[in-house]
Amino acid sequence: MEQYSILGRIGEGAHGIVFKAKHIETGETVALKKVALRRLEDGIPNQALREIKALQEIEDNQHVVKLKDVFPHGTGFVLVFDFMLSDLSEVIRNSQRPLTPAQVKGYMMMLLKGVAFLHHNNIMHRDLKPANLLISSSGHLKIADFGLARLFSEQGERLYSHQVATRWYRAPELLYGARKYDEGVDLWAVGCIFGELLNSSPLFPGENDIEQLCCVLRVLGTPTQESWPEIVELPDYNKITFKENPAIPLEEIVPDTCPQAVDLLYKFLVYPSKQRCSARQALLHPYFFSSPLPAHHSELPIPQRGGRPPRQRLQAPPTDFSVDLPLQNSVVDPALLQGHASCL
Amino acid sequence: MFHNSSQRKYWIFKSEDEVEHMRCKANHKFRNKILESGKPGVSESMFLERHEEDVLFRHYERRLLDFCNAFKPAMPKSVVGTAIMYFRRFYLNNSIMEYHPRIIMLTCAYLSCKVDEFNVSSTQFVGNLLQESPAGQERVLEQILEYELLLIQQLNFHLVVHNPYRPMEGLLIDLKTRYPTLESPESLRKSADDFLTQATMTDAGLLFPPSQIALTAVLNSASRAGLSMESYLTECMGLREDKETLSKMYDSMRRMKTLLKKYELPKSEEVNPYKQRLERIHAEFATSSNKRKRGYEEDGHVAKEPRLAEEEWTDEDLL
Repeated sequence: MEQYSILGRIGEGAHGIVFKAKHIETGETVALKKVALRRLEDGIPNQALREIKALQEIEDNQHVVKLKDVFPHGTGFVLVFDFMLSDLSEVIRNSQRPLTPAQVKGYMMMLLKGVAFLHHNNIMHRDLKPANLLISSSGHLKIADFGLARLFSEQGERLYSHQVATRWYRAPELLYGARKYDEGVDLWAVGCIFGELLNSSPLFPGENDIEQLCCVLRVLGTPTQESWPEIVELPDYNKITFKENPAIPLEEIVPDTCPQAVDLLYKFLVYPSKQRCSARQALLHPYFFSSPLPAHHSELPIPQRGGRPPRQRLQAPPTDFSVDLPLQNSVVDPALLQGHASCL
Repeated sequence: MFHNSSQRKYWIFKSEDEVEHMRCKANHKFRNKILESGKPGVSESMFLERHEEDVLFRHYERRLLDFCNAFKPAMPKSVVGTAIMYFRRFYLNNSIMEYHPRIIMLTCAYLSCKVDEFNVSSTQFVGNLLQESPAGQERVLEQILEYELLLIQQLNFHLVVHNPYRPMEGLLIDLKTRYPTLESPESLRKSADDFLTQATMTDAGLLFPPSQIALTAVLNSASRAGLSMESYLTECMGLREDKETLSKMYDSMRRMKTLLKKYELPKSEEVNPYKQRLERIHAEFATSSNKRKRGYEEDGHVAKEPRLAEEEWTDEDLL
């Protein structure tokens, strides 16, 4: 701990306070997540163990937050992460105008790259949501908060908890109490985040678990045994019935969106988990290869922590740049310089 | 994946000698610490020699295995494997004279349950100490929680252990699908399983990747049944042309078998005198108590009363 000087408090995580700090030797700014063990009946909390477990075993990935170090401190220990300026929920909340299609595409591409990497490493995140997608000062998106992450490599005997994921991003099988599920729960969340980026507001903002299911059913239509064969096996299937209603076309849910985006959204928001498009597959979707192309990370807004208005880093919006415009428009007229430059 | 795991990077060692050397160093470290502390009446003869430590280590490791096997609800094999691996890793750099294996073994099992998502409550966990009264169980739990941080620290926060059980399932599936020469791969399971259980009680897991241990278990089981599986290695694994890998593999297998053959469960006549000395060392020096309480004292949660009760329970009470 002597290696760091605390610069301030960033926030409070599920298992402790997060500080902004500076590594004295290198001058690097980091986030310190303190895990205190005070008055905990069961000792070191599972959430902290999961986080360490998931992050210790994977190689560096540009779109997953890096656990730089863990060390014991006082009554507990400290996790050291790269310091990140902001997160996607702040970006969505604070952007003065809606994100451009290119920006949405840029975020989606980074998110999917991170998710593809995790799934390839047999890690289910189980709590993907905008607040857990951190944004670096260079505009990179990195998946964070592995407090619910779980390795899914074990043989399918053991049951998982369905009390995972923040409600708005919770997959329908979880809402029906599934105890056996797969990385599809992350892909559902990806779909929800995608919709939220397109609309600048959450897709399924349920106020409680029942209403959450209502929200989902209202859009996707009441599930039937044809549209979702596995539903009859889910624990809470018979406990609750809803009035039947047809699906609402997603075009109406995310208006003013290009057809390719809607097509991709359809691939995530489906009832049977196995039918959801894998992250790796999604990255090959035409959406990412058609105009406007995904924005470069330097073209993405970076709001400051604490909700100050976004700092516009480029004077002109990047979408103004076009190779079709005549070159003369962007070069200085030599006549203007004549009086000042003698060599002309 | 094992390939980029902390196990492969930090916890697989080159040779049996390297592992033994680490343990000798831990033994010396403790001796020197006590000798240098200038405590009156300390003599070299009080300490346990390396081979004496080893007898006690195997004794407690066996108790750990028995505890896990008797655990209710039944503990999955991977949880047991991880617990024993923690125990082995912990005592690579620490002497049993410094930290009593009686409590470390339970802490290993407790942490392994949590890490492997075998979710039992702490009360349920100590409820498995059948000989203990509820108050006694409570006391043990306090100690487990005291040592948990030390353990995770000594494990260098490397929590994921790759056990050979999954690779073995994989091999059996592979045999069934790609190696028709073998009539009933399932018949190899029983003796291969036994091999793996024995292997956890040796340094195999500190020297070889889990897949190799599993392969050795399967091949060993086959050869005991009088079946040769050489063509599986040469044809299915494609090692016909790669003589170097093949001979390396045979060498690893030989080393593993030697480790298993050498293993002996210490007899109680042998264990008891060493145990008395271990108890004396802990009573006399009790160095660990200061260290492990570090960080807990101020919040008065764990160390709310002096540790007088500690020596009242012996490990006979555990099972």
